[in-house]
Amino acid sequence: MAKVRCAWFDFTSCEGCQIEMTNFGAPFLQLLDHVEIVEFREVMKETTDEPIDIAFIEGSFSREEDRARLESIRERAGVVIAFGACAATGGINALKNHMDMDDYKKCVYGDDSNMPHLDTQKAMPISAAIKVDMAINGCPMSRDEFVRIVTQVIHGTEKVYVPSYPVCVECKLRETVCRYEEGDHCLGPIALAGCGAPCPADGIPCEACRGMVVDANQESMEKVLQENGGMSEKRAKDKSRMFTANFRSDA
Amino acid sequence: MSGYYIPSEGLQSFAQSLMAKMPVVAPVAKGKRFIFDQLGDVAELRLDYDTTVLPPKKVFFPPKQDLLEFDEGKATSCLDPQAKVLLGVHPYDIKAISMTDKLFSDNYADSNYLANREVAVIIGSNVQTPYERAFYGSIAQDLELVGHDAFLTKISDGYVLDVVTEKGEKLIADLGLADASAEQTSEAEGVNAKADEDCPVKLPFAAGDVSEKVRNSFKSEIWDELSKDCFSCGSCNLVCPTCYCFDVQDEWGLGASNGKRYRRWDGCLSSEFSEVSVQGGSENFRENRAERYRHRFMRKTAYLNDKLGAPACVGCGRCAGACTADIADPVNTITRIMES
Amino acid sequence: MCDGNNNVGQDGNILLPKEVEVVEAKKVTASETHFVLKMKNGDAMDYKPGQIVEAGVLGYGEVPLGFASSPTQTEKTGTFDLVVREVGKVTKALVSLQPGDTMTMRGPLGNGFPVEEFEGNDVLIVAGGIGLCPTRSMIKYILDKRDDFKKFTLFFGSRTPAEQLFVEDLDVWRGAEDVDYKEIVDNADENWKGKVGVITQLFKELDELNPETKVIICGPPIMYKFVIAELKGFDVPDENIFVDLERRMKCGVGKCGHCQINDKYVCMDGPVFRFSEIKDLEEAI
Repeated sequence: MAKVRCAWFDFTSCEGCQIEMTNFGAPFLQLLDHVEIVEFREVMKETTDEPIDIAFIEGSFSREEDRARLESIRERAGVVIAFGACAATGGINALKNHMDMDDYKKCVYGDDSNMPHLDTQKAMPISAAIKVDMAINGCPMSRDEFVRIVTQVIHGTEKVYVPSYPVCVECKLRETVCRYEEGDHCLGPIALAGCGAPCPADGIPCEACRGMVVDANQESMEKVLQENGGMSEKRAKDKSRMFTANFRSDA
Repeated sequence: MSGYYIPSEGLQSFAQSLMAKMPVVAPVAKGKRFIFDQLGDVAELRLDYDTTVLPPKKVFFPPKQDLLEFDEGKATSCLDPQAKVLLGVHPYDIKAISMTDKLFSDNYADSNYLANREVAVIIGSNVQTPYERAFYGSIAQDLELVGHDAFLTKISDGYVLDVVTEKGEKLIADLGLADASAEQTSEAEGVNAKADEDCPVKLPFAAGDVSEKVRNSFKSEIWDELSKDCFSCGSCNLVCPTCYCFDVQDEWGLGASNGKRYRRWDGCLSSEFSEVSVQGGSENFRENRAERYRHRFMRKTAYLNDKLGAPACVGCGRCAGACTADIADPVNTITRIMES
Repeated sequence: MCDGNNNVGQDGNILLPKEVEVVEAKKVTASETHFVLKMKNGDAMDYKPGQIVEAGVLGYGEVPLGFASSPTQTEKTGTFDLVVREVGKVTKALVSLQPGDTMTMRGPLGNGFPVEEFEGNDVLIVAGGIGLCPTRSMIKYILDKRDDFKKFTLFFGSRTPAEQLFVEDLDVWRGAEDVDYKEIVDNADENWKGKVGVITQLFKELDELNPETKVIICGPPIMYKFVIAELKGFDVPDENIFVDLERRMKCGVGKCGHCQINDKYVCMDGPVFRFSEIKDLEEAI
């Protein structure tokens, strides 16, 4: 089997998903038997203009001027994978989407907010600009899922199975005691699974960093956050702005 | 077969002697709840548990189970049954296990379940602390309590161990247990006779009436209302001791040509459950949550009754507790339908 | 119904498939590939028209498919046919198989058509689109044993002429005297000289239909109720109507639950159902 040429690119993001790659242990090193890394600025200085088998794109699409670069990656890549939450869903960057640009710029950058490169539009998944073949989701992206998906892709699988069910399923399968039973709150019922639900297993509520399931029952979620999670109505309604702003009915 | 007596202080050494023979899976505490887990330290054993997050079926039918491994185009079966003692199974769960035994044996016998089941020795236990959502005292009453090999009943100063199969007898033969006295045996019988009375929740309807009324309510709009808050998360399915649906997936491994096929518990509440790929997209035979919610209740109260001789529900109450929106409790839903 | 574990793999594992050799793989439409297959390792494939298999490729999974060939062919040549429409991950892997490659298979599964009951009777088969694949097994069977059946009528509807399957068969059937073949397409192209419209229009061309006729219906889910309504017009009783249903049949052996309709498992109790047995089952048609 010839090695698969892989490259990593970043857009509006913290690059944490690429950093997460460098934390990898054994399975990733094994994956290197099948993979040749041709561009990855977190770990190497070489870049490429040649065709790529798999392009991993980190970051959301939040500036129109990024479109051309995205398109050029798409043109030379066999498979485009949205790499991490920002690329897959708009991620935490979409937190600002309901706000006015001058407001959020001032809020974040204070006196420096007039620098021209800070002008952005709504933070969208990269699928808003180019065709995306699949996503490795999460904030940061899940390492296990990365290995699993890439392993399927290098074997020629074009549609890798990824769950469409919520995180509750994965908590049940690993017999995690529900956060609500421990008197906490959690977005698990509407959060897209695939991560293996590590956070609730460690006693941390799910924040739905992978986005929402299709047809998420957001009304019911707001009700549960208030009635069982002890949140105010406002907090319950705003809760889904953190990672899932683009899934909200008002998005 | 025979009854033995284990004094209260002798329970741990009884469990310890079983652990010396083979792995013992028993209820242990986890956070505010309990789970069945392999005993490492016998002090973890909690026969006073109310119920467990997942039912003990997971011992024979793991949440994720490899079915076959393949390499270079050749597949081999992954059956690898490991003998175990499953200790402390409540009567409702024993009934549920006898249901899944039947469902996995009928027609095409599924060795992926049965091989694990056959090597397990089940020691039941009476309910010392009823789960607050449980209603086992008023459902599946006609179903005989069978499938276990022995049964532990807590009496005032210890336990009576009733051994009911040869497999059970063989397991405890060399433990030197004392015979239970007539008095102890009769106390245990008394405890078990009134067990259902202590069950906190009652379902005040006969199974036949429920089955008929639920079936007849198929077209009712009540399902939309009942399922309004449903997340389609399938928690009710996953914690159910009589649910046995699964999905099958293939996965390549890190080698050049190896991989495996596994199955994973699935639930009819999840939106992808009845979806098929068709040209240009997909077709879902139960597209909205009301249809899926209804399907679960049809299945629990009506569809499998002929096959099982009882509704596919044993009243453990796990679904009621696992449902974040609290809309899955069969007692509430059945009552609403019966009164509609 | 299923006759126990006569087709299980090693360790009695009903989920472990056997190996099948691809003898021929012919792309017959933009999305469909017609396979001619042969069991490997000395295994036999004894099936009835209307039964199914779980066909697969290791590493990708399995899909349920009805036999597209008649057991009469398999008796002669040792080969059998399947048609795969590329719609997802597994079917994509299947259609990429070439002659000499290995497909995996579990089966035959399910019940099939009650062939004996059809013998000595008029038969009408109504096939829509890919529904021609599983019914082809019965069509070929009838044509191979033509004297065992009386009048044989076949309706075939497809979306476009380009999507017609088994074009060589269709050419034969168009001119054949032992089958009254009628066809229609939803949308014509410039070369199409036949009828245009929905499949139920073909009933208008029937002068009569013996109510004793045994009828098979197989096609897209939407088709069934309209065809059944037409049959009511000819007083065909529900007992004589057989529907071949599609569902998500994952395990194929009545366990995994995905194909359940009421107390029936489509994979095991079907995929062929007598309409009278399921007409009151919600979610069936």
